[in-house]
Amino acid sequence: MTVVAQAKGRRTRARLKLRRSATKLEDEWFESFRDVIKEALRRRDDRGYQYFAGWHGVPFGWCWHGDPRFLPWHRAYLYYFELALQDIDPDVTLPWWDWATSDDIPRAYALRRVGGKANPLFSVAIEPMTSRRDPSWPRRTSRAVGSVAITLPPPWRDRWDWAQQAPSFTEFDRRISLLHNNVHGWVAGTMGEVAWAAYDPIFWAHHVMIDRAWRIWQHNHPGARPPAEILDEPLEPRGMTVRETLDVKALGYDYAGTAARVPGTRPAGGG
Amino acid sequence: MQRWTSKPLPLPVDPQAPYKRVDLEFEGVEHDGSSYVALVYLNNRRVDADTGRDPTKRFAAGFTVFAHGDCWGGDDHCKVPEPASPFDRRPEHRLTPQNITLDITDAVEALGDVDQLEVTVVATATIDSEDVLRFSDLSLVTYE
Repeated sequence: MTVVAQAKGRRTRARLKLRRSATKLEDEWFESFRDVIKEALRRRDDRGYQYFAGWHGVPFGWCWHGDPRFLPWHRAYLYYFELALQDIDPDVTLPWWDWATSDDIPRAYALRRVGGKANPLFSVAIEPMTSRRDPSWPRRTSRAVGSVAITLPPPWRDRWDWAQQAPSFTEFDRRISLLHNNVHGWVAGTMGEVAWAAYDPIFWAHHVMIDRAWRIWQHNHPGARPPAEILDEPLEPRGMTVRETLDVKALGYDYAGTAARVPGTRPAGGG
Repeated sequence: MQRWTSKPLPLPVDPQAPYKRVDLEFEGVEHDGSSYVALVYLNNRRVDADTGRDPTKRFAAGFTVFAHGDCWGGDDHCKVPEPASPFDRRPEHRLTPQNITLDITDAVEALGDVDQLEVTVVATATIDSEDVLRFSDLSLVTYE
């Protein structure tokens, strides 16, 4: 799939990167993905895992919830984090956790150890990029899956369908927010608090699923937008506007159930 | 576990203009502190954390508040300020209370002929915490 993108004053052909379901990706793919995450964890500056995890809660607190900026802000968040990972491996994309059809956390994120080594998709150190530290802060991510018995367990297919049937952006935002919160509450532990949630690697797969839900809903509701008064508002910290988040293809990615490609009459690189 | 029961909310029934949808609006929901799950029951006070989502116990709807967690900043970091001036263009504080809307139409219809609703909420925190359910008002809104 290609689109024409504007890049530094010249027109160039850009290939969209496709995000895929974690349950459909091969073990070899996750082997590479784990290496990328490990490298992101090693980067102790504004290109690294701890920096991006800190956007959501401790220490920066830029995320939005219960607000029409919820979906746009998290779309931009995933975009910048994914680009940081693509600086390490240009082919990597963030996978989604399909909690609409699967009844547990994807295996790649649930295994404590892989190949005799600690799995960085299961748990990582929490080392916020701030000089202010509190002894009560957690040192590693952890989960308490299903610990609140009254939380709805997955799969959340009926809730997904209910969200997709929303007739307006405002109603979709309300429905998907309720579902989003339930997922955080079901995973619990680190994922259960805004302050720490983004340090848990499953956070990203959960939010890619939320972003995918919005993308699919947009397919069926072309032109539906967040409230006009926020469309040109820049989102912290990098200033992407709400309007700029509306088209995932303009951001260089899309969601694929399946994707296949064959050479055309003028294959890329063919002169 | 925290349980709260509302004062009765009138549910006017007009045969000429029957309602098609009934919403509960939790207004000014605070979301600092611990995350929690809240289950809402209609005209049934005798519920607790073990009652669950049982429609025969008049369960109407549930929601999770994905809350901020303990304050990680300095003094008053999590205090929601008033706008500094009419020229203050900063976005609102992230802990500005939220409104949560629940569609309880099916649960109300299951009650049959009632002219008022008493709403009981059972809230269970994801980590040990009490009094997590904090909000300013509860509204019952019907749509014809």
